[in-house]
Amino acid sequence: MNITQQVVNAIWLGGVYSLFALGYALVFSILGVLNLAHSAVFMWGAFIGLVMVTQFSFSVWLAIPVAMLGAGLIGVLLDAVAFAPLRRRNAPRIAQLISSIGAAILLVNIAQLIFGTQPQRFPLGSIPTDTIEGLPFRITPIQIIILLVSVALMALLQYMVIRTRAGQAMRAVAFNQRVASLLGVNVSGIFRMTFFLAGALAGAAGVLYGLAYNSMTPFMGDQVALKGLTVIVLGGMGNIQGAVVGGFVVAALEVFSIANGGSNYRDAFVFTLLFLILLFRPQGLVGQKEHTRA
Amino acid sequence: MEFLRSIGITEIVMQFMLINAILGLSMYLVLYTGMFSLANAGFMSIGAYTGVILTQNFNQPLWVGLIGGMVVAGVLAVPIGLPVLRLKDIYLAIATIGFGEVVRILILNFDTLAGSITGESVRLTRGALGITGIPKITETWHLLAFLVVTGFIMIRLHRSRFGRAMAAVRQDEPAAANMGINVVYTKNMVFIMSAVLAAAAGVLKAHLTRTISPGDYGFDQAVSILAFAVLGGTSTWVGPLVGGFVLTALPEILRDFKQYRGIVNGSILLLVIVYLPGGMVNPAGWSQMWARLRGKKQGDTLTTEVS
Amino acid sequence: MKKLLSILMVFALLLPVTATFGQDDTMEQPLVGFWEQCPTPENLPETVNVGAIFGLSEAVAVYGTAQQNAVQLAVDEINASHYLGENSALVVMFEDSAGNRDQAIAAMTKLVEEDGVVAVLGPTLSSEAFAADPVAQENSTVVMGVSNTANGITEMGDYVFRDSLPEGAVIPGTIAQAAEILGLAKVGLFYGNDDDFTVSGYEVFKAALEENGIEILSEETFAKGDVDFNAQLTNLIAAEPDALVVSALAAEATQIILQARALGYEGPIIGGNGFNSPAVLRDTGADSEGLIVGGAWNYGNPNPTESSVQFVEMYEAAYEMSPDQFAAQAYTGAWLMATAIRCADSTDRTAVRDSLAGIADFDSPLGVFSFDEDRNPVHDPIAQIVVDGKFQPLALVMGE
Repeated sequence: MNITQQVVNAIWLGGVYSLFALGYALVFSILGVLNLAHSAVFMWGAFIGLVMVTQFSFSVWLAIPVAMLGAGLIGVLLDAVAFAPLRRRNAPRIAQLISSIGAAILLVNIAQLIFGTQPQRFPLGSIPTDTIEGLPFRITPIQIIILLVSVALMALLQYMVIRTRAGQAMRAVAFNQRVASLLGVNVSGIFRMTFFLAGALAGAAGVLYGLAYNSMTPFMGDQVALKGLTVIVLGGMGNIQGAVVGGFVVAALEVFSIANGGSNYRDAFVFTLLFLILLFRPQGLVGQKEHTRA
Repeated sequence: MEFLRSIGITEIVMQFMLINAILGLSMYLVLYTGMFSLANAGFMSIGAYTGVILTQNFNQPLWVGLIGGMVVAGVLAVPIGLPVLRLKDIYLAIATIGFGEVVRILILNFDTLAGSITGESVRLTRGALGITGIPKITETWHLLAFLVVTGFIMIRLHRSRFGRAMAAVRQDEPAAANMGINVVYTKNMVFIMSAVLAAAAGVLKAHLTRTISPGDYGFDQAVSILAFAVLGGTSTWVGPLVGGFVLTALPEILRDFKQYRGIVNGSILLLVIVYLPGGMVNPAGWSQMWARLRGKKQGDTLTTEVS
Repeated sequence: MKKLLSILMVFALLLPVTATFGQDDTMEQPLVGFWEQCPTPENLPETVNVGAIFGLSEAVAVYGTAQQNAVQLAVDEINASHYLGENSALVVMFEDSAGNRDQAIAAMTKLVEEDGVVAVLGPTLSSEAFAADPVAQENSTVVMGVSNTANGITEMGDYVFRDSLPEGAVIPGTIAQAAEILGLAKVGLFYGNDDDFTVSGYEVFKAALEENGIEILSEETFAKGDVDFNAQLTNLIAAEPDALVVSALAAEATQIILQARALGYEGPIIGGNGFNSPAVLRDTGADSEGLIVGGAWNYGNPNPTESSVQFVEMYEAAYEMSPDQFAAQAYTGAWLMATAIRCADSTDRTAVRDSLAGIADFDSPLGVFSFDEDRNPVHDPIAQIVVDGKFQPLALVMGE
């Protein structure tokens, strides 16, 4: 039971990590920018979902799309305030990273004023929490739902980026903005759309995370910010499958270092692997070798 | 002086400003050479722990602790820098964040680890509780003197061959190599200098705050150090200095805003970086903004590309 | 509507009392305070400034805002009842430390050296206290921690006090009782290894377990900010312990309880001060059954003092949530400080220190409170178990 259970634990945790990392990876793949405010958008998504359920008596399943919409719009706003002006000015990417930090501080502090600091949760009974019977391991319905949703979102995103016109435009922008705009792609529109999608993914992740762990504060994003970074680097930056693979690899590494008695050094294992991967396979686990980004 | 105190800048805040200016400079060195390294918080902790162990466990004076911390960080920077500095950009940033986290976890578990190897009970870094009761022996003049010497070195550096090599490596690495500049040597030397400066700031600060723990030198600290340099501006070495001053003083000056302090603080950061992407000390950026305010069209940006 | 109702409730509660004391225009005398022991002060200035350093932003604000709320509640009560005299008012200057050492030091310096406060409450975290309290000590100003539980806080000097019971004063009693009553022989130990609070708790738990001859089957750790504990819990549960002993803060405690139960663990879970929050019971629902908590104070304490009941009512009316241990300790801290000033009848910092050190048998929400000679708190800790969703005294329930 022990090993089976640890495998289940790892798969479940991997689902959580990938879900968070998807939006993070999307922005990085299209813009080549690390958006450190992503975790703040994630938190806002969770709270929008919570307000829908507690104040407007929405069902949880209805609250998720609303939260996605809300967080998507926050993403667009974030782009308009913190990224677009810098892009217009051809500012170095590092300036965009710093402005995303400023935006994150702002978003978290506004949330603190509105929602307070005490941990909040979805009402008891919003979702079934009883362990499913008759399996050789223990898992709850919400865990299965999160796994399914993250796989579905990943597939949807992948389909969008590869198969649709908008996705092609996004990839063109990612490859070379100038060429893309010469080809008639509305580059700033693509950026806006990317931020909307990333925000919506963060919103979905926020609500599901809130449901899974039942504790939401304006600071909940801090817990996943660094982990999300680790995940997208391990999987291959700017790569959507990479985010998912990275999520499962980080989770597996964490769970099995604990399972083998190394809970003290869990994060050291993860970061050492990260270090080695960067040195020997900087394109990440699934990335192809590509030109180094300038 | 009276005015500064009235807006919340007491002597201790001024001391923190000076420390953060040193940290900003340590970041500046790597950015000026085109390396996006976030290892400075890690080196700061190595310096702080070495320095404090020297002054507390071995009863050495502060200057011995200071030099000890700088030397240990400088030596450790070599095996870290050699492999890592082959990476560029965000990859380098992440690898160095990883380095910082590993350092943090090792310091956290140092006593248990050392204890299990030597078989005796070790009490050196004292785990999560950290080291407390460190005497406050760093004086303002220590910091000023250190900063003056560092500033002097910066000026000399920029005028030297090595300084021009640093700029060349940033602008175009292959071209620099073709010109006969030893790129690996330049990058590693700068990485070591940066580590040494960060370590010095760590030692000096530990003897101001009286207590250190591994959590003080995590991801947040690494990002703050980056912000000192980038917000200050990396086109001259004065920028990170100003960045360190302003970012440290701002939260104290804004105390009267009470619960809106974070919002005001975040907005100011955002406005500065959005309107002055080259940082606060960046003549080109200011003249651009001036031109825009007067409604003139401006040409290409002149801001230094650091990433 | 709810707010209106609760306000009405408070009025309804106050009515009979004000009717009896209705002859003068002041509110009824609060239950807390040395009303008889010390005469009404006559020499205090119009405003008596006291500083308070709490973490009001960043993650630490979860605790800091509760502390600020509770202190404000006490101050309003103190001023409405003219505890410091007819013409003197207590003013608390709140400063935010954001859980950051540098800011705690800066705030302490500002309060003590610039604003000239009589005394300071806080800072929220022990790590901040180790950095900032020496500033108060050097300026001969009282600083009283209301949530510092690490070892060595009051050793920083004779002006450093605390009213928060360190883990060492709470846990050994809980473990001894639990061991005797439940017949514990082997347990699993789980703690956060990168936080001074959880590590202090772990050390005390470990010593207490060894003292009671209880075998520790396995030890697991987590890191600050973790939310998923399944892997460690799977390990711990696989060893089939008689109980899980956990040193964690409230947010983590909730997850640990829920996830342990979801993994099929049904035995007792023993926690310290960190578990002692209304949120833990509220958020774990039926899963909290069998939870054993040692702590300094709990809103669900089945055997509360009168002032504790009143404090809970006032706090809930004012803030629409239940107070936690942090709030109770901060509230008591403000009252203790006011009492020291009242009894000293002076704002001289040293006089206030001496007066505070002399406080004994003070009736507070925490129970009958005294300072020992090391300026640490002395009052009865609580050891309780959750039965049918409610806290019950451990000895009482298990003694049956």
